[in-house]
Amino acid sequence: MSQSKRLTVADIQQMSSASAKRFRAKKWARYFAAYAVMTAIAIVFMIPLLWMFSTSLKSRSEIFAWPPSWIPEQPIWSNYAEAFNKYPLGRFMVNSFVLVLGNTMGELVAVPIIAYGFARLNFPFKRVLFVLMLSTMMIPGQIKLIPLYSIYNQLKLTNTYVPLILPSFFGNPFFIFLMVQYIRTIPRDLDEAARIDGAGTWTILYRIVLPLCKPVLAVMIVFTFLWVWNDFLQPLIYLSDFYTYPISVGLAFFQGRYSVEWNMFMAATLVSILPVLVLYFFAQRHLIGGIASLGLKG
Amino acid sequence: MKLFLRISVFALLILLPTLNVVAQEPVTIEWWTVASEEFDEAVQRALVDQFNAEHTDIQVNMTLLPSDGYDERMQTTLGAGQGAPDVALFWNTNWYPQALDLTALIEADPDIDPEMYLPGFWNTRVVFNDQIIGLPLGVGANFVMYNKDMFDAAGVAYPEPDWTPEDYIAKVAELANPDARIWGGDRPRGPYRAIWYNMGARLYSDDSTTTEGYLNSAESVAAYQWLWDLVATNGTPTPADLEVLGTEGTGPVDLFLADRLAMATLNQGHMQNAIAANKRFGIVPEPQVPGNTRHVNAWSLTVSVWKGTEHPEEAYEWLSYWAGPVGQQFLMENGNLIPSIPSVLENWEAADTDYGQAFLSVLELEQVAAWDNKHPCKGTVLRAVSDAWDLVMLGEIERDAIQAMLDGLVPAADAALEECVGRLGG
Repeated sequence: MSQSKRLTVADIQQMSSASAKRFRAKKWARYFAAYAVMTAIAIVFMIPLLWMFSTSLKSRSEIFAWPPSWIPEQPIWSNYAEAFNKYPLGRFMVNSFVLVLGNTMGELVAVPIIAYGFARLNFPFKRVLFVLMLSTMMIPGQIKLIPLYSIYNQLKLTNTYVPLILPSFFGNPFFIFLMVQYIRTIPRDLDEAARIDGAGTWTILYRIVLPLCKPVLAVMIVFTFLWVWNDFLQPLIYLSDFYTYPISVGLAFFQGRYSVEWNMFMAATLVSILPVLVLYFFAQRHLIGGIASLGLKG
Repeated sequence: MKLFLRISVFALLILLPTLNVVAQEPVTIEWWTVASEEFDEAVQRALVDQFNAEHTDIQVNMTLLPSDGYDERMQTTLGAGQGAPDVALFWNTNWYPQALDLTALIEADPDIDPEMYLPGFWNTRVVFNDQIIGLPLGVGANFVMYNKDMFDAAGVAYPEPDWTPEDYIAKVAELANPDARIWGGDRPRGPYRAIWYNMGARLYSDDSTTTEGYLNSAESVAAYQWLWDLVATNGTPTPADLEVLGTEGTGPVDLFLADRLAMATLNQGHMQNAIAANKRFGIVPEPQVPGNTRHVNAWSLTVSVWKGTEHPEEAYEWLSYWAGPVGQQFLMENGNLIPSIPSVLENWEAADTDYGQAFLSVLELEQVAAWDNKHPCKGTVLRAVSDAWDLVMLGEIERDAIQAMLDGLVPAADAALEECVGRLGG
């Protein structure tokens, strides 16, 4: 090899510097591309929300104007005030929170106990009962509506929140299934070690297993919030007092027999989904972690 | 002993009024209703307060439900056979068998007389199996509403009440500007409604034995060809447009209010929307071929007492107040109800306006329900021949093939009719 072709320290430093620059440029290009794609997707997902916001500030005739406009000619902020004056939306939202809280408590109390039982304990007909419990997920809610209504009506519990909260204290089969699967991934050695140290079943559940189940508990809380917040049919069937309705039922009052006041409906809906957005914003780390660890999607 | 007797008598005197109060505890009537363009929550609550103040022995408890969801609630409670309201809107004909027969109560009531209601609405809305199962509350009707600003801008003459289906197509073509997504008029929602009847078309024979000579009659063919011509103008919103916009059944009125639809078949609720939006509009009945009887799709809300009520007389007391002259007057003056009682309707504040006059004249037309109610298999047969409607609406058939298509559908229609008539016991 001739001397002229030998690499000097300076050559190597220069190459190294150029390589670092290329690496940095590639890195930035990758970042830029990734962020551009994600921003584009986020915008696409945000379009319905932005359209809702735009519609909530329009006059009724402007909503369906052609060509459609994103920015209202003259934003009518009073649509929000009018929507809140027309119906007690604040009260409806408080009612929804009460239902969410009751259901979340119920699920958090019942589901871990039942799931732990199925995952760790041995008792007669365990598999049959587990399959039986899972099979209840296949029954459409509408089919159970009339028999359940009869039961609650005979117990004089209609027009109360009991029919809307009580079932959660018996566990939701979907959550039970999730939690059973999750608990099965926790090594039994932990239980056995605790048992050797003198822990009983309750202690093992609440001191050992549950702290390890945070991801699945987060999923339960968020899903319960979403389902209860959006549930329309059950409150509609069981409640009669106007001032006990949750927001899901309250929003339906903006739909008349012949038409919908879209601007006010959008204003009210936008306000009503804020708690859900806030919850998701703060819980997304746990939720995504939980979903990833559970292999859930869709 | 004397002292004991005195104390007992004294105690009895004190307790007697209390016992009397217990004996006269008012009966509570559960009433379910909805908020609508015609009567909102506040107006109905005020009516209940007025009734409760006038009737110390009966107290009405109002449950206000959203229109979208009312059916589910009623069906659940009626299906369960318990928990249904004493008095409610029975707007679904499937609920009629669960309504109390009011014939005797009405006969004994000097304040309610079938003759006091607008003719046509009593027989079509509250008589079921020769029983009176309710009272007709308010009236509604479909009519063609036209946007005067759009007509003026296009220099097109307003439609006249005696206009024809051809006039409708001509105006649609003149008014439409498809490039700007402005439509001249909308399309009918289905066949064998007012316009079909106005053209003399019927789906099957009066005695419900055959569709031959009816479904494929010259009048039916002409009606489908008229629809074909209307679609061919490209001056109407497409079915896809209305499907998207009409998710809640509101597409045409939204386009009308946005000055994008010059003529639309709407109703009195939409009329209230147009008034609220300060639209300049007019009303005409649906077009008709000269020489035929002009029809209207009109209705009234059937309000009834549930058969399972424990207090039929008290429930009827409230029902007759609500749907009688007092209630309808109240809902008209404080809300937007158009009453079904002519003596009350006389005081309707819009009665002297052009649109009010036009609306009242529409109510006098022959009702589509008059034929439809006597022919309960219409829906079944229509489903069997829905291809005809779809092909014309989608522009997938030649105009001169319509006769052959209807001829070809007759066997299927006859089979559906026979099956339905048999199922309903002849």
